[in-house]
Amino acid sequence: MTAPLYGYGMFGVNTSLLLAVILGIFFGLFLERGGLGNPHKLTGVFYFTDFTVPKVMFTAILVAASGLYLLSDLKLLDISRVWIVPAFFWPQIAGGLLFGAGFVLSGYCPGTAIAGFASGRLDALVAMTGIGAGSLIFAVLYPYIEGFYIFSAMGSVTLPQLLKINHWFVMVLLYVLAAGMFYLMERFEKRS
Amino acid sequence: MEKNNFWSPYIAGIGLGLTLLATFYIIGWGLGASSAYSLVTAVGLNEISPGYAGSLKYFSRYLTAGYPLKDWVLFEVTGLFIGALAGALLSGNFRVRFDKAEKMSSKKRLVTAATGGILIGFASRLSRGCTSGVALSGGAQLAAGGWIFVIAMFAGGFVVAALFRRLWS
Repeated sequence: MTAPLYGYGMFGVNTSLLLAVILGIFFGLFLERGGLGNPHKLTGVFYFTDFTVPKVMFTAILVAASGLYLLSDLKLLDISRVWIVPAFFWPQIAGGLLFGAGFVLSGYCPGTAIAGFASGRLDALVAMTGIGAGSLIFAVLYPYIEGFYIFSAMGSVTLPQLLKINHWFVMVLLYVLAAGMFYLMERFEKRS
Repeated sequence: MEKNNFWSPYIAGIGLGLTLLATFYIIGWGLGASSAYSLVTAVGLNEISPGYAGSLKYFSRYLTAGYPLKDWVLFEVTGLFIGALAGALLSGNFRVRFDKAEKMSSKKRLVTAATGGILIGFASRLSRGCTSGVALSGGAQLAAGGWIFVIAMFAGGFVVAALFRRLWS
């Protein structure tokens, strides 16, 4: 088992940065071509007018999750060497709620604002400046909120670990949920 | 209005998912975005006022490295910009504009973009990342944190959309 390649020392930092640019190019291309540089499409889901965001997002999640766990099961990828997103229950609930509010107001999120700006949108540049300012406000207030920031830490735990079930049970559940969701979205979009 | 020549969201989603999978396989972590803003803000502040930047405990994580801008996510979002620019140019979707809802004034759009951005910037730090690093990457890892954030984000968005019904119409 030799993957993740960087984690197993197949190349150094400079090569990893070159690969970051290349992977980023594909990231940006698919975001823009999927319509995720457009604030009207980005906010559509919250008004039930355009379901592009959940369609792109959950398709991407299913493809990447299936590949990740398949490669892991085939022993082609050492998932213990993959950095797993940590869970902090209450900070991520509060952060998610605030983030969703900011998403609808601005019409962007950090990655899609860059895609919006790259397609010529100056309002996206305003949102980008706001995101920088929000980070600064966080850093200034950090001493007062540090207690909450580290509160309810759950570690880098996954849903299959938490539920003590095989990851493919979770995957099948997600396939079924996504199929039902995509079906309803297509029907809803056709009607309106 | 721009040409509606976007790809099928499912095709774009498959492409995005394969890019994310390649990132897991090649690098060993997912795609991100918001930390680049925090990093650039910290480095910028450090240029203007090193004393104040140094006094901010949260920003010290960025400033202790020898070359703070030699950061993986910063390079990745640079690629993101190039890829999105190429996509917009090649498809004829590139046009300089101040995008907003039809009936919204430019002044109001300035306020919503800036306020929304500030909320997002703050929330991303609290959540350990954004739609890219936590929702997409964490979601694909089946990470609990990713799914907690996804659910809360959609809940927050639906509440605000219900409060501001004509914001985007």
